[in-house]
Amino acid sequence: MNTMQSLPLLQNALTVGAILFSLGLVGILTRRNLIVMFLAAEMMLQGISVSLVAWSRYHGDWGGHVLVIFVLTVAACEAAVALVFVLQAFSRTGRLDAAAWQSLREANVGRTIDHELPAIDTVPLRFPTLTPAGVLPPADENEPLQREHV
Amino acid sequence: MQEFSPSTLLVLVPLLPLVGAILTVLLGRTLGAKAHLPAMAGIAAAAVVAIALLVATARDVGPAHGAHAEAVRPVEMISTLWNWASFDAAYTPPAGSPATDARLTPRDLAAAEDVRSFSIPVALRLDPLTATMLTIITCVGLLVAIYSVGYMHDDPGYPRFFALVAMFVFSMSMLVAASNFLLVYVFWEAVGACSYLLIGFWFTKPEAARAAKKAFLVNRVGDFGLAIAVFLLWMTYGTLDFHDTISSNGVIMPGILGQTRLADAAGYAGGAVGTAICLLLLLAACGKSAQLPLHVWLPDAMEGPTPASALIHAATMVTAGIYLITRSAPLFAACPGALTMVSIVGATTALVAALIGTVQNDLKRVLAYSTISQLGYMFASLGTGTLLGFTAAIFHLLTHACFKALLFLGAGSVMHAMGGVIDMRRFGGLRRVMPITAATFFVGAAALAGVAPFAGFFSKDEILAALHSKGWPSAHGDHHAAAAADGPFQLVAFSTDAAHATVTAPAVGLDALDRPETWQILFWMSLVTAGLTAFYTFRAVFMTFTGPTRVPEGAHGHGGHDDDGGHGGHGGHEFYESPSAMTWPLMILAIPSALVGWLLFSTNWLAHFLSATPSLTAPAVAATATPHVFHMNLAIQGTLAAAIGIVVAAIGHLGRRSDGPQLERFLGPLQTLFANKFYFDQIYSALIVKPLEGLALVAALFDRHVIDGTVDAIAGLPVALGSIVRRSQSGLLQRYALVGVMGVLAIVVLLTWQLRG
Amino acid sequence: MTPLPFDPLASGPLLAGAVLATVASLWLLLPNGRDTTSARWLGALLGLAALAAFIATGRRLGGLGEEAVFLIVSLVAVISAAATIVSRSPVYAAIWFALSLAGVAGVLLVLGAQFLGVATIVVYAGAILVMFLFVLMLAQPAGLAPYDRVSNEPFLSALAGAVLLGVLSLSIGRLSAGPASCCDLPTRATATVDTTAAPATAPVATVVDPLAENHVARLGGELFGRHLVAVEAAGVLLLVALIGAIAVVSRGEAAHAAEATTAKGPAAGRIAAR
Repeated sequence: MNTMQSLPLLQNALTVGAILFSLGLVGILTRRNLIVMFLAAEMMLQGISVSLVAWSRYHGDWGGHVLVIFVLTVAACEAAVALVFVLQAFSRTGRLDAAAWQSLREANVGRTIDHELPAIDTVPLRFPTLTPAGVLPPADENEPLQREHV
Repeated sequence: MQEFSPSTLLVLVPLLPLVGAILTVLLGRTLGAKAHLPAMAGIAAAAVVAIALLVATARDVGPAHGAHAEAVRPVEMISTLWNWASFDAAYTPPAGSPATDARLTPRDLAAAEDVRSFSIPVALRLDPLTATMLTIITCVGLLVAIYSVGYMHDDPGYPRFFALVAMFVFSMSMLVAASNFLLVYVFWEAVGACSYLLIGFWFTKPEAARAAKKAFLVNRVGDFGLAIAVFLLWMTYGTLDFHDTISSNGVIMPGILGQTRLADAAGYAGGAVGTAICLLLLLAACGKSAQLPLHVWLPDAMEGPTPASALIHAATMVTAGIYLITRSAPLFAACPGALTMVSIVGATTALVAALIGTVQNDLKRVLAYSTISQLGYMFASLGTGTLLGFTAAIFHLLTHACFKALLFLGAGSVMHAMGGVIDMRRFGGLRRVMPITAATFFVGAAALAGVAPFAGFFSKDEILAALHSKGWPSAHGDHHAAAAADGPFQLVAFSTDAAHATVTAPAVGLDALDRPETWQILFWMSLVTAGLTAFYTFRAVFMTFTGPTRVPEGAHGHGGHDDDGGHGGHGGHEFYESPSAMTWPLMILAIPSALVGWLLFSTNWLAHFLSATPSLTAPAVAATATPHVFHMNLAIQGTLAAAIGIVVAAIGHLGRRSDGPQLERFLGPLQTLFANKFYFDQIYSALIVKPLEGLALVAALFDRHVIDGTVDAIAGLPVALGSIVRRSQSGLLQRYALVGVMGVLAIVVLLTWQLRG
Repeated sequence: MTPLPFDPLASGPLLAGAVLATVASLWLLLPNGRDTTSARWLGALLGLAALAAFIATGRRLGGLGEEAVFLIVSLVAVISAAATIVSRSPVYAAIWFALSLAGVAGVLLVLGAQFLGVATIVVYAGAILVMFLFVLMLAQPAGLAPYDRVSNEPFLSALAGAVLLGVLSLSIGRLSAGPASCCDLPTRATATVDTTAAPATAPVATVVDPLAENHVARLGGELFGRHLVAVEAAGVLLLVALIGAIAVVSRGEAAHAAEATTAKGPAAGRIAAR
């Protein structure tokens, strides 16, 4: 890699970072699932990390690398704390919906309700299955069934 | 006195009461019933120092030389403590004012060039006038403080009272010791504040709170006059200092009352500006000394504790106006019209207040109107503008301080014994149950009424003489020869010789008032007032102390002398006399009330002493010096007037029940007029208070509806706008985030656009 | 290495087209309730077109091998990222995200950040992502939840993201190798290269990556040398986050136990029972 030109590499890497950042932003803004929102946030962080490392490479300075390490650290902390809050929120509403938390709205503004929801996803989801092995355990009628969808 | 420099001692006089006041405030709760100690110690020490200063000053003045007045060397000592404020190039002398007047010497012009910096040195002065005033203030203050130990002993505000009294003594000492008009103004306000706080001492009583407010507001009118006067003085003279100062380059800058200007015959502004200054000073003095038309606050001020009334509203603070005019004597001497106004105001006040006093049934109110009346006397005397007039006023101030404090403390003693009752119709014959109070009160009353040889007789006689000498100048014209011929006891013939009424220059405006006819009227008014004074004083004495002994329900006796156990006091055998802390000041004050007049008059000590005051050595004042004589015929007239008054009072009240029919019923409608105090309060209410209240109502409505409406409308604008924007507040987190991102994006796009190429 | 007949970075139409294609592609792909396969295909095609436009605006690197490697890893990263945000199922999204992380790690490796590339895989894919999946398993209801099938303002959001991308690309294209105005770094060989002026005739200036030699050891030295305090602070931050997460969970459960009986929804009941 030593023969690479520095400035084009920087520009290309920055472009990759910008694309990742923008996609993450769009994800944050659109997706209603709290978990996916967090994934999008992490994606934005990835874009930043790529840009930082690219600049670090360009300038021959360690600062970018060090910053990315801290970004990793903070991302880990953020994920830990935020997931806890997501769980708490889920346990209160039974949903992972960001729009479930609307009570900050003005008193005279009505609740936003999703219209034109598709009935049920028509595309069946297929998950890989393991080959059954051993003896089938006896079925318990009271035990809730395994979910077929995730 | 050589061990202590007088300047150090002079600082101690105000400082010690101040320290006492601060200590009382700090330690008041700790000391409890002994809270009077710091204040009293401070005032007592200040009194000792003040007497020492008086002696030292008297030594400087030198002994009096017989009956002949001669030019006295002015005595003053200035002690500059620090420079309070200093600004450069603050003053540019206006064209035509004395500072740039061609009459001034080149040295003065050089000084005027140099004077153009504004500095307020905190300077104290010691001269005969200040020494006299300091002695009166501290001594009366000390006696009142001692008296208050008994009078206030079970009051919850005990420490507060003594702190205020000490604070007042400090302020008043500074007022008379300050050597600068601005400092005078500061402490003029300070004594007003102390007065306000002491009138409203029992602030839970609505009458007291209202009286305090009234006193404060009425005093504002006078203070306004003083403030304008100070401004005018600054514009006219370029300085506010009394004394000469020496600038850094060695030029003498003449103070308003300094030796340089005093020696200059034309050093003081006459005409419109001078008259305006003098009239404004007179307005200030009227406010503080309760003269017509600003006298209305003093009778109401009697709602305060009686010791405070004695100290502030009889003996000391109300004399601040006398002090101010005496101090400004050279200013007034340049404006004869203003001087005449002083006398007119004084004599009118004296007569009106005396008339009102004749029908009052409240013992303290009688004394209050008497105070107004006597202060009017002093103003009338000051207005003559002669050395005799000024010294007589201060003489009367001194004797009045003694006997009026005595009378007030006596009234307080009565009130204390009667359980707070002060209406003379509800008690009587108290001389049998309160012998000490009765005796001392009688001495004070005799002094007030001008009965020879009590103190008031001599000072009143001098005032009448001063007025007489203006009304009939020919009778006093060749006084030197007459004095040589007749000795000290000179018979003055009445004369209405109109020849002396002609003035050398055609007088205009107010100056036209300065005619012998005016002074003759004023003299007769004063003489009538003397008779009225004697009447109402002895009416009060007879109603309170003679007749069948009666005390109101609720009075607290101190155990009967016999065993009949009669309650309520109709038996008259219970002993109601006040505690010794209250009777001792009475007895002490009774001595000067009886003797000080004769002592000071016969030796002529006070007049000689005061004539060394720099203000009174101004040529215009000093030239009017007259030999010290006893005006026998005036004394006869005065005594006659007093005797008539006493006799009428005796006819009406001696030995009668005080709640019986009164003599005044013969006055008919006049009695209604007097009892309603000439309707001053009603007139003020109709002319000033009600219109102002209407104006305030209009302003309040304007404020509430126009201004508040505008503000509310402006405040409603964001609300209206917000109600539009509010619909976008969906509570959806991502929508908020989208809007934020779009905002950031707009900025980024704009920046990229600006930074293109 | 043949230069294009025009400077691709200065070509506004290309960039504008890329932005428009991005908007359309994202709008079609994002969950919007239609869920028609044709729309998805159209969106995917548009997305690929936009990607091609961005590749066209990219700079040529030093050699074909490097270019190919960079292109592959970045394409993996970007395409998986797009798939992450358009996946209906959060589980798929997480798996796509893992793939995207692998691509990012490749990009980092290309950039010479060997340690960071590995750390990204280990920390993100190995730890954080697994945690996401655990939470998903705990909280995701059976089947596709309604809120996974709709998006919040898809068009405006896609527009905002695409415009941001366009602006950033424009700025990146304007970068030149002139003396950096923002930094006072010592002038290196790269600073003299002006690719826009004469990219063909000038000899290809190669530069030795100053960070490549003894990379991990020197990064460690840098971390525990100049940035020791920050490292310690980061450690404290981790500890605080750990304690905070535990505290929130325990307190939240205690508070939630009381209302467990009245809680709505099967998931809430299940959490409480556990």
